[in-house]
Parts: sequence; structure tokens; C-alpha cells
Amino acid sequence: MNEITLTINDRQVKGKGGDTVLEVCQVNGIDVPTLCHLDGLTDVGACRMCVVEIEKERRPVPACTYPARDGLVVKTNTEQLEKYRRQILELIFTEHNHFCMFCEKSGDCELQQLAYRYQMDNVRYPYTFPSLSVDSLSDYLVIDHNRCILCGRCIRACNEVAASHTLDFSQRGWKTLVTADLEQPLGESACLLCGACVQACPTGAIFNKINLYKGRPDECQQINTVCPDCGVGCELNVLVKDNNLVRIEAPTLSGSKGALCRMGRFGLLEPTPSRITSPLVRNKQGELEECTLDKAVQVMAKRLAKARDGFAGMISTRLPSETLSLFNRFISEVVGSDLIDTLDGEIYRTISDGIRQFQNNKKGLDIECPIEDILEADCIIAIGADPERTNPIVSTLMRRAVSQQKAKLIVINPSRDVFPLWSDLWLKPNVDSEGTLLNGLAKILIDKGLATSGKAGADFIQSLSQYETSEVVSTTGLEKERLELAAEMYGQAERGVIIYGEELLKKNDASSITTMLHLASITGNQVGDKLRVISLKPGANSRGAWELGLAKGIKQDKPKGLYLFLADEPESEELLHWLRGVDFLVAQASYYSPVVYMADVVLPSLIWAEREGKYIAMDGRVHELKRVLEPKNGLLRDEEVLIEISKKLGRKLS
Amino acid sequence: MAKVKIISAWLDACSGCHMSFLDLDEALIGLADKIELLATPITDIKEFTPADVGIIEGAVSNEHDEEVAKKIRANCKILMVWGDCAVFGGIVSMRNLFSIEEVLDRYYHTEGSICDKIPSSEDIPPLIKVKPVNQVVKVDCYVPGCPPSAKAIHYALAELLEGRIPILPSEIMRFD
Repeated sequence: MNEITLTINDRQVKGKGGDTVLEVCQVNGIDVPTLCHLDGLTDVGACRMCVVEIEKERRPVPACTYPARDGLVVKTNTEQLEKYRRQILELIFTEHNHFCMFCEKSGDCELQQLAYRYQMDNVRYPYTFPSLSVDSLSDYLVIDHNRCILCGRCIRACNEVAASHTLDFSQRGWKTLVTADLEQPLGESACLLCGACVQACPTGAIFNKINLYKGRPDECQQINTVCPDCGVGCELNVLVKDNNLVRIEAPTLSGSKGALCRMGRFGLLEPTPSRITSPLVRNKQGELEECTLDKAVQVMAKRLAKARDGFAGMISTRLPSETLSLFNRFISEVVGSDLIDTLDGEIYRTISDGIRQFQNNKKGLDIECPIEDILEADCIIAIGADPERTNPIVSTLMRRAVSQQKAKLIVINPSRDVFPLWSDLWLKPNVDSEGTLLNGLAKILIDKGLATSGKAGADFIQSLSQYETSEVVSTTGLEKERLELAAEMYGQAERGVIIYGEELLKKNDASSITTMLHLASITGNQVGDKLRVISLKPGANSRGAWELGLAKGIKQDKPKGLYLFLADEPESEELLHWLRGVDFLVAQASYYSPVVYMADVVLPSLIWAEREGKYIAMDGRVHELKRVLEPKNGLLRDEEVLIEISKKLGRKLS
Repeated sequence: MAKVKIISAWLDACSGCHMSFLDLDEALIGLADKIELLATPITDIKEFTPADVGIIEGAVSNEHDEEVAKKIRANCKILMVWGDCAVFGGIVSMRNLFSIEEVLDRYYHTEGSICDKIPSSEDIPPLIKVKPVNQVVKVDCYVPGCPPSAKAIHYALAELLEGRIPILPSEIMRFD
């Protein structure tokens, strides 16, 4: 970018061509008050707090939208400008209800800060007292229109960061309101509860319903950690006061990872079931009873002495690598078994098998592109995936690609269109015919000349030579035209991304995954040596567990005894079902839950906020999970429990 | 030096601002040499007589409040208002979101009310739309806060005693 020189407040300063006057001021440490500006969002010049005087301009202009030019002469702090700014504040205060004394945001409000700064000790204009509603029926959010200054930051965050496009202005002039969809209550709108608007709101107009009035940022400790809820690995800024979680925010709203989802921002603050604070064993009546760790270990030892064979370990991938690694050694060295798996191990094995079968690939998971590449996609295929449910940030990036890059979105799902408001095409194949469908797409691409075979792809293309489109049509139940349309959309794309997830992976169909990689390869949809294919991994440390070799698999033969390290992982129906028939169950868990009530021995465990260690996100990046809360009632650390058990069993844990 | 004479009143308010004044604690002893309280809620003298400084806490929300505000204004050289209600309208002005009939109906005709009808007598001043004091009489200086801290009140009085019209510095100004 070319360098430009401006004169601001009689000082020569430098900026880049394309900067706004505000950006030049900020880079040069010149303080200009702002209200509707927020880093990471487009500037709109709504509030006029940043007005500046520019030589030869007849009237003050907002610095946030005024393009900086070489030779511009700017004044940011004249007496007249300061008068205007105070007047703007007074007018904002008269418009709605901005009485601070009962507002959740008081002390953390940008409007209030500016009023203090401009020593606004009175308002010269009459108040309007409009009767405005409060929408508090959403699960996590409250919109109080009385507090709204119509800066539009929430709307821009909803459009640009969350790409949800739920919020917008309705009405005009005095009656202007921020509204969801076509004036729906937020809870009934398309709102995805990502909370970007809460973080963007400068006043108390949109706020978080959970943990209200629990603390202001200046009373809180702020800790940067990583989200434990899925494989994406979003950074969290956690606010803590008196060892209680107060709020969770994204460290910044700008950049590809500025968004958080409902799970990371709000879900982690939800009330939890009762904590398990002591070891438990079954008494004579068959009820769980608190006991010492010694007693619990005795029961385990008795059982282990009887039958070491067929005793297995299974662990949640919410746990950091350090704990996973120790558990691996615990099962092999202390329990003396080589049966070990993770709760999502099966999914990982399928992905891994599929990738291995692709051209004898040695790169493993590194063949997949990072999720940021979704942002530049011009076509996206989502197959057997529901990212909004499993990995919501992936779905945010997809929506951003669709709304900002005009990417085409193709959903392949036998039961439902997972992006009903966004998809260009929904292919609804017969159940279990996805593999055929993918081969069919490849065949059409080849026949239409939309695929270029490198040397490596020749075998794959050869293998399709006998494939008949008519067979694909009858197996999948899809019309030929729709298949061709999908193939063309993907084939003509320059940066087409295929995203697959749980629903496909649960079918254990590794060959479909191989076909997807071939599809990306023959159509040249790659970045460097990575293919534009992304698998959605459920656990925060699924990849870490895989790299440590924990996802070996035990499910084929149901183990007779099981050490289940569940921690604070929400348990699935499937797991409960599978656990039936395990005749001795040790559960190390944080909360009372159905699994715990099935167990013979229960051991306490920390929750995500009390743990620390390393996570490997689905794209291979390593994140650090930091301890945010001190463990409850001096609970033993997860590792200490394993080490204590080993000691008591007389085994050494290396 | 003659003591500075002060008159004050609380209008529609919770009295918290005057309590904040009493929170000056030992600083009151120093002030006692310099100021004299005439008619104030603290001295319980009701008749306003000419003074140097008039102080009003609370918003103007009935005809009696209006009259008191005007009387204080007429009897003082400098009028200072304390607290968000007097300065901005504050919490009491939120009843402006409803009509006076709705407010009275809600108060006297719903569950929990101890009267079965709206009391009326010529001794009861009629309610009006709630206004901050500066919309009724001219105000010379403002101390916002709910209530203003003792520190803010002390700052404002000290400035006045020095002969300056106080404007609270940003560090002391609070709206809550």
C-alpha cells in the first residue's frame, strides 16, 4: 500500500492509502472518541461521535468513514467539535431510557464512559420517553430497546461476524428499532444464539441472560483459554470473579475466528448437574455410597485380580493430551490391558481409513485444508454433516462464504436440508447411497470434461469406467438433472470445499471418504498440497487422542470390565445403550448422570474450567487449555486420581 | 467571614442524596464552620428564607414539587441539584412511560394495594409528567449520581465555597 502523509492537529502523521481518517488517527495514537465503530466491523458513520474538521470541508465529517488522502489537514479536538460531541451525547440520552442505576451494563458501558469523559452533568433537552418493549424470551439473550442507541453494531456483528443476518433495523426515523427477522421475537427468529451481538453492543441494549449482575469486567480476572466443546478450537476469553464464571467472550470480533457459537459463549455457563465430590461404591443394598479412595481402589483391585483379561479403558476427548497420555499408560501398565478407545474413536478410525486408502496417502489428517479455507470457497458441499449442531463455527464460516463470497452451497443429506435458508441445492439421496452418489458425481465430472486426471487419479478414473449414471440414478433415487447440476456447480468451482461429518462417518464407510478426496483431487480443488476436504471432528482433543494412539477400538467385543473416563462430557443415548452388558464399570466423571448410576465404582473428575493441558484442534493446531477456576472442595486432579490408584494397586505408573 | 447559608429540599426521591451528604462524616465538622443549614430536611425547618445556595434532590413530579422548586429558586443565589432524579429525571421519571391514570390505577387498583380507591383531596397535589429540575427552574450546577458519592458532594460544596461553579471531573462523576 502506498504511504500517505496527513496533518492531524498540526502534526505530520503517516498512514496507508485506503485507510480512513480514524484508522490513521488510531495508528498514530491520536485519540478520537467513537461509539458505532468496532474493530472488525464495517464503519457506517452512524453516531457522529468521531466527527473531525477537515480543511476545505464545509462541515465536520465522521472520521470513521472519511477516506484519508495525502495532504489532508485534519483537526480532531477543537472546542467546537467537543461541543458537538457533548451535544450528540445529550441527544442520545434523551432519545431512549439511559438511566444507569439499574442497568446491567453500568460500569462497562461505552455510552456512560463517553458521558463521563465529556462531563455531561446535565441534559439540556426534554426526554422523549418512548414506550419500547423488552424481548427476553430467547434462551440466552435479552434485547431491551430502551437502552438501544441504534449504532447498528449488533446488526453488523450479526451480518459480518456471525453471518446469520437475523438482526436488522425496522421502521424509520424516530421509530427505528433493531429487530430480528421481520419483527419476530428473538426466540422465534432465525437467531443462532451465537452472541456476537452481545459482545458488540456498547450499552445494555443486548445482554446475556446467564450470570446477570455477577460482575463487571474491571472486577473480573480475564483468562484466555480454548473451548472444550468441539474440535474447532476457538479461543475463549473467560471472565471470572471469586472463582465463578461470569462471562465468555471472543478475544476479538475481527478476523476469521472472531465468532463464537452458542456452546462456547453461553452453553459453558449453563447450570450443571450436581458435582461428584468423593469416590462412590455400591453398598450391600446396591446403592452408590460415598467412600474413601482406598475403599474404591479395593473394590477395583478385587475385580482386577479376578479377571484382568477383557478389562478396557475408554476416555473422553475433552481431556487434554497430558491426561490422555497418562490414561493410556494407566490402562496398559496398571490395568494391564491393551484395550483402549476414545468415546469418538470409531469416527476417527473411519476418517483415518478413508484417508489412508487415498493414493496410499502418508500425510494422514494433514491432507485436509484448515477450516479458514472455507471463507474463500466458491462452492461448498456439506455431506452427512450438520455443522450447526456439531461444530457451529464451521457453519458460520460456511454462511460467511455464501453471503460474502457468493459461494454455492450443496447439501447432501437423506433426511433434511441442514441449511434450509442457505442451500442452493439439496440432494436427498436414498439412505446409505451417499457412496454411490459421490462416485456418480465423479463419473459425471469426468464425462463432462470437468475433471483433469493427474497420474495419481488415473486408477480412480479407471475404476469408474464401468459406472453407469442410470445405476446411480436408481440407487440414489435422484434425478439425473439434479446430479448433473451438482456436478457442474462443484466442477466449475475454483475453490470448492467438501465438508463431511458425523452422520456419514457413523456408517463406517471409509470408501466414501476416499472418493471425496479423489473428487477434490481430480477437480483440482486443492490449496498447496492439501485437498479442500474437511471432516468434522466432535471432541476438542479428538485429534490429540488419535495422535497418541488412544483410538484403538474396543467396541467389536464388548469388554467385561471398563474404566470409563467420562469427565464432564455430555453422554449420548448410544453410549448408555452400549454400556449395558458391561458387567463391571468404573466411571470417573464430574457430574451425577445416568452413566454414573450404572457404575460399580465412581471416581470424581475435574471440569473443563478446572483443567489445564494441551488440545490438538481438528486442523492440527495446538492450543493450551488454561485453568480458569480452582478445583471445587480441593478435589484431586484427574492425573492424581490415576496416580493414587496405581500406587494403591502397587503398580508403578511411568 | 459570614457563613454560607444553605436551604434544601427533597422532591420526588428516596432521600439518598441527603444521606450521602451526611456520609461526609468528619468532613461535616470542617464544613460546619463555613456553612449554615436553614430550611432543609435535616433541620426539619419548612419555611424557606433567603440563602446563598439552594439544593434540590429529586425530580419534579407533582404541583407541590413545582412550587417548592420555584420557592427555593426565588430564595437562593445559586441553585445546585443533587442526584440523577433531579439532574436527569432518573428512576422516578420512568413512570412517564405510562399515563398518570395508568400509574394511579396500577398503584391503587391491583393486588397488594391497601386502598380500594384513588384517594382525592385538595391537600393532595395532582401528579404531573416527571421532569428534571432544570426543566422547571434555572439550575446553576449539577451533581449526578444515584446517589452522588459523598466525595462528589464534598467536591461540589468545596468548589462553591471557593467561589467557583462546580463541574464534576470525569473521575468523580458517576450515574449509578
